[in-house]
Amino acid sequence: MTTATAALAGLPRHAVATPVCAARDATTEPVWVRRTLIGLALAFLGLFLFMPLAVVFHQALSKGVAVYWRAVTDPDALAAIRLTLLAAAIAVPLNLVFGVAAAWAIARFEFRGKSLLTTFIDLPFSVSPVISGLIYVLVFGLQGWFGPWLADHDLKVIFAVPGIVLATIFVTFPYVARELIPLMQAQGAEEEEAAVVLGANGWQVLWRVTLPKVKWGLLYGVILCNARAMGEFGAVSVVSGHIRGLTNTLPLHVEILYNEYQFAAAFATASVLALLAIVTLGLKAWVEHQQNSPEPVPFDREPQP
Amino acid sequence: MNLSLRRHSVLPGFGLSLGVTVLYLSLIVLVPLSAAFIKTASLNWVAFVAAVTSPRVLASYRLTFGASFLAAVINAVFGLLVAWVLVRYRFPGRRVIDAMVDLPFALPTAVAGIALAALYATNGWIGQLLAPAGIKVAFTPLGVLVALIFIGLPFVVRTVQPVLEDLQPELEEAAATLGANRIQTFRRVIFPAVLPALLTGFALAFARAIGEYGSVIFIAGNMPMVSEITPLLIITKLEQYDYAGATALAVVMLSISFLLLLLINLLQAWMRKASGQ
Amino acid sequence: MSIDIRNVYRRFGDFTALDNVSLEVRTGELLALLGPSGGGKTTLLRVIAGLETVDSGQVLFHGEDSTDRHVRDRQVGFVFQHYALFRHMTIFENVAFGLRVRPRAQRPGEAQIRRKVHELLELVQLDWLADRYPHQLSGGQRQRIALARALAVEPSVLLLDEPFGALDAKVRKELRRWLRRLHDEMHITSVFVTHDQDEALEVADRVVVMNEGRIEQIGSPQEVYDHPATPFVYQFLGNVNLFHGRVQDGHAMIGPVAVPVAGMADSASAIAFARPHEIEIIRPAPGETGIAARVEHVLAVGSTVRIDLEPDGGAAAIHAEVSRSELRELGLVTGDRVLVRPRQVKVFEAA
Repeated sequence: MTTATAALAGLPRHAVATPVCAARDATTEPVWVRRTLIGLALAFLGLFLFMPLAVVFHQALSKGVAVYWRAVTDPDALAAIRLTLLAAAIAVPLNLVFGVAAAWAIARFEFRGKSLLTTFIDLPFSVSPVISGLIYVLVFGLQGWFGPWLADHDLKVIFAVPGIVLATIFVTFPYVARELIPLMQAQGAEEEEAAVVLGANGWQVLWRVTLPKVKWGLLYGVILCNARAMGEFGAVSVVSGHIRGLTNTLPLHVEILYNEYQFAAAFATASVLALLAIVTLGLKAWVEHQQNSPEPVPFDREPQP
Repeated sequence: MNLSLRRHSVLPGFGLSLGVTVLYLSLIVLVPLSAAFIKTASLNWVAFVAAVTSPRVLASYRLTFGASFLAAVINAVFGLLVAWVLVRYRFPGRRVIDAMVDLPFALPTAVAGIALAALYATNGWIGQLLAPAGIKVAFTPLGVLVALIFIGLPFVVRTVQPVLEDLQPELEEAAATLGANRIQTFRRVIFPAVLPALLTGFALAFARAIGEYGSVIFIAGNMPMVSEITPLLIITKLEQYDYAGATALAVVMLSISFLLLLLINLLQAWMRKASGQ
Repeated sequence: MSIDIRNVYRRFGDFTALDNVSLEVRTGELLALLGPSGGGKTTLLRVIAGLETVDSGQVLFHGEDSTDRHVRDRQVGFVFQHYALFRHMTIFENVAFGLRVRPRAQRPGEAQIRRKVHELLELVQLDWLADRYPHQLSGGQRQRIALARALAVEPSVLLLDEPFGALDAKVRKELRRWLRRLHDEMHITSVFVTHDQDEALEVADRVVVMNEGRIEQIGSPQEVYDHPATPFVYQFLGNVNLFHGRVQDGHAMIGPVAVPVAGMADSASAIAFARPHEIEIIRPAPGETGIAARVEHVLAVGSTVRIDLEPDGGAAAIHAEVSRSELRELGLVTGDRVLVRPRQVKVFEAA
């Protein structure tokens, strides 16, 4: 009648004995299957991801560091870098503003034609880069709609910097909006509504409530947008005219050097872009971590309550 | 602002944000895209058909669509495998590899193109291993396939991965208690659950591949009738000042892209339905 | 089929889910694993099923060591808390699954599968839902389908994890009576996990109370309710009043009330439990002893009357339950001064 239980007395618990040979987990594969699958996946990724990346750096340095350095500090290369940065510096902020506006309209309001609008925003993703460039040629080129008018006023869009910027804007158009719309839809409008009830005006709601809430998603979109803006090749190639030192972006510079059989220089320039890609992936992983996106749940069993 | 367009909300800024969105969308995307269709309308039907069905164009379709389809199939198989391995197994370097899967999204296509060309040329790291067997990759249609596999790789992985992560372990446990072995569980329980995502990823990879230009042209060799893809043909026509011909081809490609976009939207709706309930 | 669990340990990192658990499940009985969440009951159920491995210890099925036998080969039926129905399959295909995945030699023919599935669907009274999909069913219907699916493989043991946990109160009550009837018809050895004492006490033949990975008590519903073996069981099952006291001359002194105890040292501190219906309330009178208290609240809802009492000296409130006629006799109203004494009390040595 008077036995104090261990629960109340806090008796030391039994030490855990060494595990006996346990039954296989019900929902995993035998070790050899696991190893084989991992091996196959790694072989595939090695062949198609890591070797191309490695070969860029290998070729870039194949003629020595001096050649590498000369290639990346060549005046034409520096001009290409400047133009690439310029295009990104215009395209990214514009698409950022657009993305926020589009997400605000689509995620916060119900209106007719919303799904059509969402589909239209996605359009640039499904258009071939070559066609993205072509349509601007059709609008602004000499044979195009505004071509004669532009020529009369001595303005150049195609085969000039404005065309490159426009093509860059087009191909990076959806990135920020695509990131923000689902995020803001998932978050719901309650906090914004609370802010309005508390007397905030529209800009205050945007600055103080919405943007802080979506900052990581926004940054994520910007990172992807920027990577594409700096790396775009096909669309820019169509509208550029490939004038060295003037209308050459970094990727176009790579192409020219490659076609001139200056392989080491081409790969050296390419390695700069590859580094940019690696930095992008690193930033992306960091932002994902910050977003606290749930780590893929390990398939090891969690404690069962 | 037309109030009848929308349901009432206390939040401000509908008119401004929608206005900015529609204006910018129209200027940057819709008007230029319509230019392609309007330009083509100036072509008469016979000329249009001739432009988009010449033997060289037909050969480019065969290569573009054939290689894109094959690449998407290969990516579906290996993308599922990679997603499975990344979600289910722990091994050293998993997180780095997980992050690296997006490399084809981040690496400029021109860089990918010259890298693959260097890799698969007969004196390249991989090319020299294949050469003795008589297999030539670079500057053949096989090279096109390799490039398209590279650029389509993340699509299947990234659509299948979240579905695999969300798959309830109880479903597999239920299958096990009912006597199913792992292969049966995969075939009857797991695979049907990831199928919508897998098809979506396949369609995305395919859609991306048919428009791809930068990574292909360096490794393809670009021989008319053999290894010339349709986007390159558009550029070739453009360089020959054949604007009508280039635009006609572009319209064909655009139409197919829009159809694919529609298909992808339907697939994604199916995917949401399959995972939502 | 009897199940013998011997000295099973299971840890997850720092968390001990099962701490030297031994238990015998008798052939044909319906056993409830009852306890708070985190108490180890689901882990134990999963260990029996083979869904969970053990760090040490043994699981015997019918006297035969089955610790290392794969879940596939254990012939258990498992009903998951959230049912785990295959959403891309019809109800029919869900129930047929276990038959279709049998090795070819043992797999029944299509006609036989059809007959068997319809039999089971009739058993759970949902034959008319065969062609629907799981998301078209209500929670209670899904639960019954999950049960039919588990029974399709003719399991020798049926294991149910919080079988009614995800259902609303009314459906739960109906379903648990139905489960009891079903068990009485089929007599299949069954173990179910619940954190709901009413469920365990109403449905099960025997109840296993678990806490912090250990078994606190095993017994019939009446035994564990009327004679809790430990303070934990006392507090977990039903409402209970807790008194603190000290041992003097073989008696635990709870206020002025002396309860005889055996085997406790003098001046040891003691805790005592009494259920609300075991509390006696009397009017103060010369010669009567009891804990002096004031009536705080009288709540006459249903057949019994709940009375909240505030003891003098600031001890915890005492809850009592009396019948309506007792209340009439006593004529209690809020503010009355009374004496309270436990009619029946269980004393434990305090930690």
